[in-house]
Amino acid sequence: MPVIATPIGAVKIQLIPELVPSTLILRALIRYPLSIMKYAQLIRLLVGRELTLRYKRSVIGIGWTLLNPMLTSFVLWVVFSFAFGNRLIDGQQFAPYLMAGVLLNTFLNQGTWLAAESIAANSEILTKIYVRPELFTISAAISGFINFLIGLIPLAIVVYVSGQTLAWTLPLVLVVALCMTLFVAGLGLFLSTLFVRFDDTRNIVGVLLMIALYITPVFYPISILSPTMQTFINANPITSYLEIFRWSFSDNASPTLLDWVYMLSTSIIVFLIGSKVFKKYWPRTVAML
Amino acid sequence: MPVIDVKNVNVTYRVLMNNAGSLKELFRDAAKGKARVIEYIALQDISFTVEKGEVVAILGPNGAGKSTLLKVLAGVLPPTKGTSKVDGKIAPMIELGAGFHPEMTGAENVLFYSALMGRDVKRVKERTSAIGEWAGVSDHMDFPLRTFSSGMVARLAFATATDEQAEVLLVDEVLSVGDADFQEKSKGRMHELINSGAAVVLVSHDMRAVLELATKAVWLENGHIKMIGKPAEVVAAYEAH
Repeated sequence: MPVIATPIGAVKIQLIPELVPSTLILRALIRYPLSIMKYAQLIRLLVGRELTLRYKRSVIGIGWTLLNPMLTSFVLWVVFSFAFGNRLIDGQQFAPYLMAGVLLNTFLNQGTWLAAESIAANSEILTKIYVRPELFTISAAISGFINFLIGLIPLAIVVYVSGQTLAWTLPLVLVVALCMTLFVAGLGLFLSTLFVRFDDTRNIVGVLLMIALYITPVFYPISILSPTMQTFINANPITSYLEIFRWSFSDNASPTLLDWVYMLSTSIIVFLIGSKVFKKYWPRTVAML
Repeated sequence: MPVIDVKNVNVTYRVLMNNAGSLKELFRDAAKGKARVIEYIALQDISFTVEKGEVVAILGPNGAGKSTLLKVLAGVLPPTKGTSKVDGKIAPMIELGAGFHPEMTGAENVLFYSALMGRDVKRVKERTSAIGEWAGVSDHMDFPLRTFSSGMVARLAFATATDEQAEVLLVDEVLSVGDADFQEKSKGRMHELINSGAAVVLVSHDMRAVLELATKAVWLENGHIKMIGKPAEVVAAYEAH
């Protein structure tokens, strides 16, 4: 609460309660990020560690981040371009369509995995030094975000090679990536609680993440499906994220306003539920580390 | 105002009988009506205070709850009941070097470890070479930690943990780090930190160290306080036990 000294003493200005009702959404958008921002230095170190450690003993190092989605996309392109390559709407190109899907799916898959493991993997630290445990999970999601941004470089090359150009809506990709970071962090917070408690949830999550690749239109155009299947695939929130991503990057899809609403709301809701569950069970979680 | 104020702290762990480590086992046991939750009491009704400049030694056999109590004080483990209030910056010297990674360099590890303890990264950057020098590993600071000997790692961890003055020191048998020379040096620094007016909680099996350093002693047995008072009296009673 801001306090201003006046001749008659300190006057408390009642700004915050009136202008910022403490609804859940505002908490998620303003207060929570502010409370996390205090730890910016530590988060930066954690993200840097996540990004570099994995490749410490490899020759091309972080270059794997570039190479990995390219190789995956190439394999999928070889397999599926014959089947789906000419089924897209006029003006859309299959290669960037596919690679955008692979990039976003990698973000979901690796990000969720890293975030969900972050608590168990850092139990050594968490049982000895008091650090806000969410920082590890959020940092894992942020490193997924950065890997995604790096992956946009080869995607841009593929866009030009296939005869498209980058769209003027390019900056909106950042919104998609941020929503994805929230989504992945929320999912990771929820799952990390389960991972510590039950070993076999890892197997279940592994299967679910594999299914996610198939129920998102990563390598097929959604128009080839039956109307019932289309409804089902559209109910998957990641489909909306992907549509918006493809559209804003190179005008390679046509998302609706509903997709935007769906993306923004699911990212916030998943993050809120994840952090709530995480907080509630933390005393029990830490006792099992 | 005490720096550390522990009031009626209880810590209970919920343990599943038959130790279901997976969902599958839990469902199976629940279906057979075998999933019983038992409560394991690690700490029971612990209350004490530590004033500025006081050194409190925690005594007790293995499994008495000493480490659990330190974890509660460090804020790592939330108590099931009761409150534990610590006023000021904590230097947790519980198993030093948490978060050290063999693939990162000495300097990177110092920075990361300090950031975990809530220190300002910019200030630590300026201190890194001084820390390395004090630990006697200046030549190695730019090499990965895996090239360090275990003694060097321990020295670097001690030097980093004690580099900044804290209001509260939580010490778990760390007075014996490295070779004889370094032990003397680290003992000196511990005394410095203690004499500078920090509140200290010390877990030790070394009764000579307890008598020498402590101003108050707490004897833990099976999770509750058996005796609390002057070190000489508590140590005598504990040793006669």
